Amino acid sequence: MSKEFLGEFEELVLTMAGILQDEAYGNAIVNEIKQRVGREVNLSAVHVTLYRLEDKGFVKSKMGGATNQRGGRRKRIFTVTNAGLAMLRTMKEARMDLWKLIPQLKIAGS
Amino acid sequence: MNEVSPPGWAIRFLQRVCPAHLWEGIEGDLLEQFQADVEELGVTRAKGRFIWNAFRFVRPGIILRNRISNTFISSIMVTNYFKVAARNIQKRKFYSFINAFGLSIGLAFCMLIVLYIQDEREFDQFHANKDRIYRIEEKSFDTWQHDSADPFRRSAWLQAGLAPVIKAEFPEVEYVTRYNDGNRVIFRYEDKVFTERVTYVDQDFFKMFTFPLLKGNADRLFQDKLEVVITPEIATKYFGDVDPIGKTIEIENEGKSLFTVTGVITPPPAQSSLSYAVLLPQENRNNYQRNLENWGNFGTPTFVQLRQNANLESFKSNLDHAIDKYMSDRLERWRKEAVVPISPDVKMLEYEYTALPEIHLNTAISWDKVSDPQYSIILGGIALLIILIACINYISLSLTTSTSRRIEVGIRKVVGAQQSQLVYQFTVESLILAVISMVFGLGLVVLFLPYFNEFTNKGIALTGSKIVQLLSVGLVLMIITGMLAGSYPSWFLSRFKPASVLKGGFTSRLQAGFTKPLVVLQFALSAFLIISSVMMYRQMQFITTKDLGYNQDQILVIPTQAGWSEESDRVVDQFRIRAQSEPLIVSVAGTSSSFNQGFSRYGFKINGEQKSAYVYAADPQYIPTLGIHLLEGRNFDENIPADSDAVIVNEALVRDMKWTDPLNQYYNWREDTVGMGSRVIGVVKDYHFLSLEEKYEPMFLSMDKHNVGYRTTLLVKVASADVTAGLDRVKALWQQLFPDKPFDYTFLDDDVAKQYSRYKRWMNIMGLSTGFAILISCLGLFGLAGINAVNRTKEIGIRKVMGADLQTIFFLLNKQFVILAILAFSLAAPLSWWFITQWYMKDFTFQVPLTWELFAISMITGLILALATVSYHAIKAALLNPADTLKYE
Repeated sequence: MSKEFLGEFEELVLTMAGILQDEAYGNAIVNEIKQRVGREVNLSAVHVTLYRLEDKGFVKSKMGGATNQRGGRRKRIFTVTNAGLAMLRTMKEARMDLWKLIPQLKIAGS
Repeated sequence: MNEVSPPGWAIRFLQRVCPAHLWEGIEGDLLEQFQADVEELGVTRAKGRFIWNAFRFVRPGIILRNRISNTFISSIMVTNYFKVAARNIQKRKFYSFINAFGLSIGLAFCMLIVLYIQDEREFDQFHANKDRIYRIEEKSFDTWQHDSADPFRRSAWLQAGLAPVIKAEFPEVEYVTRYNDGNRVIFRYEDKVFTERVTYVDQDFFKMFTFPLLKGNADRLFQDKLEVVITPEIATKYFGDVDPIGKTIEIENEGKSLFTVTGVITPPPAQSSLSYAVLLPQENRNNYQRNLENWGNFGTPTFVQLRQNANLESFKSNLDHAIDKYMSDRLERWRKEAVVPISPDVKMLEYEYTALPEIHLNTAISWDKVSDPQYSIILGGIALLIILIACINYISLSLTTSTSRRIEVGIRKVVGAQQSQLVYQFTVESLILAVISMVFGLGLVVLFLPYFNEFTNKGIALTGSKIVQLLSVGLVLMIITGMLAGSYPSWFLSRFKPASVLKGGFTSRLQAGFTKPLVVLQFALSAFLIISSVMMYRQMQFITTKDLGYNQDQILVIPTQAGWSEESDRVVDQFRIRAQSEPLIVSVAGTSSSFNQGFSRYGFKINGEQKSAYVYAADPQYIPTLGIHLLEGRNFDENIPADSDAVIVNEALVRDMKWTDPLNQYYNWREDTVGMGSRVIGVVKDYHFLSLEEKYEPMFLSMDKHNVGYRTTLLVKVASADVTAGLDRVKALWQQLFPDKPFDYTFLDDDVAKQYSRYKRWMNIMGLSTGFAILISCLGLFGLAGINAVNRTKEIGIRKVMGADLQTIFFLLNKQFVILAILAFSLAAPLSWWFITQWYMKDFTFQVPLTWELFAISMITGLILALATVSYHAIKAALLNPADTLKYE
């Protein structure tokens, strides 16, 4: 955990790739982020992040089959690797651990 | 459904920069987004977004993936490229050397020029408050010289009273100081008596400018009038190693006073427009009080430092206000007195200002070290020419040598090299050589810098950051040159079909045809520089040898050290009487100012006409000592009392007054309403009392002490047999007569020559550049001639077998170079003529005539140089035994 570290945006993209499974390619992730989080992101930013995640070994990519859409261009489908899943899990747990340390009583007081 | 397509050029552009393996995924995503956008937003907006989205992909995260993959492919071959490059350099040691050497010389010169230009731009940048410091200037309507294009005169010399007014009345000004530099006064400490150059400033000087104090407190300096701040050099000169603070030193300037040293200040750096060695409070200037109240006397440069966030406009309006308040009456009077009526909307006087860092390159206002930014441009141009020549050499030599590697290229192609790989290989190869020459060039810069500094009168030092800068400039240049030199031959070579190359159908001749225009170009550039510098040299020669109309040799110029007073006259007469018995001293004269040591010019009205004339105080010995030619009338005579009011005029003044019979005229230069003015007793032939840049101006000599002034300078002519002995004698006499006065002297001819030091410097720089250019072009020519000779070895062999003699072969090989050189010359001659007449000569009123021999001489020199360079190869080739060259055929 200590060696690799994910930025906020990287984590978001990685999570979306996990959600979309076989349909995880650049544009789909952009749309998914817009739908679920309500955040407008640029396609190029998502691409760059995906390639970086690939460099780090958290996703791997392969070319999908050709379709009639998108001018017959194939999609580059990204799949979350085991390392990627482990990374997401560690980050979630680390955050939960921290979350627990916040005194919860204050909420009741308001 | 698919009829709408996104802009194709954006796709093509992105495809170029995008890594190939990522391209399909990216393009697909972009297209998909585009189609969604079309449905949602309409075609026009969708297209706009497409372009925007496409360009967003131009980012390091994408582009950099490109290069890594590319280098990966080629890096397999890189070691091989290095190996082949090293072998090639070794195989052609001589050409490699010429190539690298030429380039490094060109580069070294360029780097020097870059240093020069940088130095010019860095002037005065070291002041911490430089953005808030301004020099105030006057812009006044010139009632003297009517120049309808620009009737205003601009100068940095202001009234002494302005600074106190600014300090007291301008809220936006934080500090203000006056600055008068250059006056020489006598210093005495124990037995040490010297004249020193002093600078009069105000106490704010130490707070405004970043001239750090080594000793003393900036807030407390110059609260007393009798304080002095000195540089360490002056401190050591008078006090040795003792701490100078608190010491008193006697300074004599119209009366002696004791000054206390209260501060030691670092000397000004070379890149400073302000200069000083000894700083004194302004209050010590002569006639300080009188000048303070006289708003018509412009003699004091003034600097201000504005407060942080001060408003420049309100500062300007305050300046206008000050003019109205203190000068309006005077300006009205000036307006009325003007000969030509001045329209009422013309402002007689206005204050302007220049920011401190801009002073150095502001030629509109004269200042001690001001320099024309044009020089930087011209030098930069020359540097570009030279680096161009060097690059042309490099490229043409690379081209000619690389054609011999046709077979290597053929083999490489057969084995499977792609064109891009060949380009890469040749580029790497020429880059290696280029980088070597860059390192070499930097070494040359270090070597040449001291001489360059001397030539250009600068103090450039190589610091670490400068070296890094130079290296980066050099690196960029080298990469460009290397690429050009490497890519063209590879493109050229890779066009051949390997089969035809390897089959041997090609002859083994190196193709030099396309290098001919390059040779002409570089030769024309050198010829241009040769002609220009020869012309500059001729003009300098003309100036230094021109008969000035007086005798400037063996004359010592000695200041009387007594200032503007009766005592000066006494010093002259005393010295003359004492010198009469000396055989080594020919004559002694006195004058108000020697040539190039300042002048007086008076303006006055005669019969309602505005006139002006230069005035020199003289005595009866003046004309004979200087050997001035008296055309009419007689010299001054001490025994005729009326002569004290008489004048001797020059021809230019006679012309100016349109006199036909000057000896019966009176020159009313004092605007005398009662009398008729000064009687003209003699007319001298025009002589150059001004520099040769000026034409002959009206001038007169006078012995009138009260109106013209005292003789503050001695002119001592010594016997020509032994000038050194004469000088020693004069010095000994001086010390006998005036033991408390320092003996300073200059030679008149040195003073006169100093007027042209700027031109001399330019001649030197041009000469240097010409030398560089010639050297580089000769190197290039040498290389090309060599290739040419090698190409024709067999041809020469056959010709020799057929009976051609050495002369014929020599002629055969050199013919084309002569033609090229002549062609180059005919291109360069009009260009250099234009350059010289338009830029260089226009400053001189007295010009050397430009004659055809000048061009002929330059051309013959160039031709001889070119022939000498190419002959080596021609003779070598012609002397070869044909049996050796032909036996393998």
